[in-house]
Amino acid sequence: MDANHARLGEHLIVDASVHVQEGPLDLLPYCDEAWRPALQSIADNAKTAGIGAELWPPGLPGEATTATPEELKASVTERGVDLAVLCPTSLQKLSMVAHAEFASAVARAYNAWLTETWLRPEQGLLGCVVASAHAPADSAAQIEKYASHPGVVGVYLPGAAVDPLWGHRKYDPILRAAESAGLPVLLNSVEVMHPVFPFNTHGFDTSLARFTTSDPFSMMVNLIDMITTGVPARFPDLRVGVLGAGVTWMPFLSLRLDKVYLEKRREVPFLAERPSQYLKGYFYGSFPLEDAPNPDDFVTMVDLFEGENAMVFASGWPQDGYDSAEQILALPFSDEAKAKIVGGNALRLFNIDERGHRLSLSREAASR
Amino acid sequence: MNEGHVVGRLEEFPEGSHRVVTVGRRRIGVFNVKGTLHALPNLCPHQTGPLCEVKKVTGTTQSRVENDWAIEWAFDKEIIACPWHGIEYHVPTGRCLTFPEISIRSYEVSVDDGEVSVHF
Repeated sequence: MDANHARLGEHLIVDASVHVQEGPLDLLPYCDEAWRPALQSIADNAKTAGIGAELWPPGLPGEATTATPEELKASVTERGVDLAVLCPTSLQKLSMVAHAEFASAVARAYNAWLTETWLRPEQGLLGCVVASAHAPADSAAQIEKYASHPGVVGVYLPGAAVDPLWGHRKYDPILRAAESAGLPVLLNSVEVMHPVFPFNTHGFDTSLARFTTSDPFSMMVNLIDMITTGVPARFPDLRVGVLGAGVTWMPFLSLRLDKVYLEKRREVPFLAERPSQYLKGYFYGSFPLEDAPNPDDFVTMVDLFEGENAMVFASGWPQDGYDSAEQILALPFSDEAKAKIVGGNALRLFNIDERGHRLSLSREAASR
Repeated sequence: MNEGHVVGRLEEFPEGSHRVVTVGRRRIGVFNVKGTLHALPNLCPHQTGPLCEVKKVTGTTQSRVENDWAIEWAFDKEIIACPWHGIEYHVPTGRCLTFPEISIRSYEVSVDDGEVSVHF
């Protein structure tokens, strides 16, 4: 056990991004009857699968890394994690699905499967329900349905290839429902390219090119859209998190948005402050940790957007190259900053206490 | 009231007009907004741009929750935008719209026997 691993025990570790692996047969029993044949078809004959092939391309899915919540709990504990927030794998691509009803049905099935099968708030296994962009009213109803679930700590917004972007007012019912439920929205992207999203990147040959750009580009354009369409004005109490995109683009985005805002404020009179001020109030998952050759450089990048109060540890487990909290503890942050990044900031993002209890629910219970 | 410095005759500042005058080492923008004279330094605190040398005193946009955040026209003929970077100021108050924490100073203006003076 090295020094950093030993230090894990000193800190509360919250992992904001642990992926469950939802296969079509997992979701089938939870899915509306009309769409079960589509899920069965994907499972039986993936090579010719039609509807849903965006989520489960031919040849997939493989075996899940863990089969039960107990195994998952053991796995996260082994990595020093006290509280884990579960998010999807295949449904990261939900916005790519062409068929709106299928997409909504799969999101509902996922939410039912996740809450019944995986969430164990008493053991620190928490999770986010998925909001399909296809049917905002239906997604809002899903948020309301799970608003009082003790294990549901967020609303997951699949950002890859979403069109229009998440700032569009058609999604207001989703954001309103999240804000009312006291749940943050978590924007996430995944290695996906799309002819119009974000910009001619679909021509890339390599995963190296795609993974370098797809996630941060997606998060940047969605954040820009949310800020410039006035989400902070319309939903002042909405907490926003961004997962899977790293953080080093934040200084660029903050500076650039503020620079242009000086001259274009008239377009966005609903903003009471410079865009960077809103961005600083959002939260950013650390995965993938862009550790610079000189670790001081990375710390400087984080300081530039006051990331000490905004960055949350997210492992991305079990994706390729997932990160550990030890890597953050080994960086030359102050002890106070480390404690916030590996745990404290996530408590604020998810509005939970150190045992994973939702503070809004305990307040409700106390007032009853 | 501080010492007054005569900058011209009242008829040189008709309603809706603005001029930049020189008083000693200072350049000062004098504005007649709806019949009231206002004077501001011709210096944008952002990057020292010639704030008052605008072509036109305009209005700007605003957005209110009561109107579901729709974009409305407001402060008509009361707003200047610095020619360098477009940073907006409300002439009657000196309030900066882009940086809410910033207000620029306003000079007092008096009219005595048809002569306009700024005071500092």
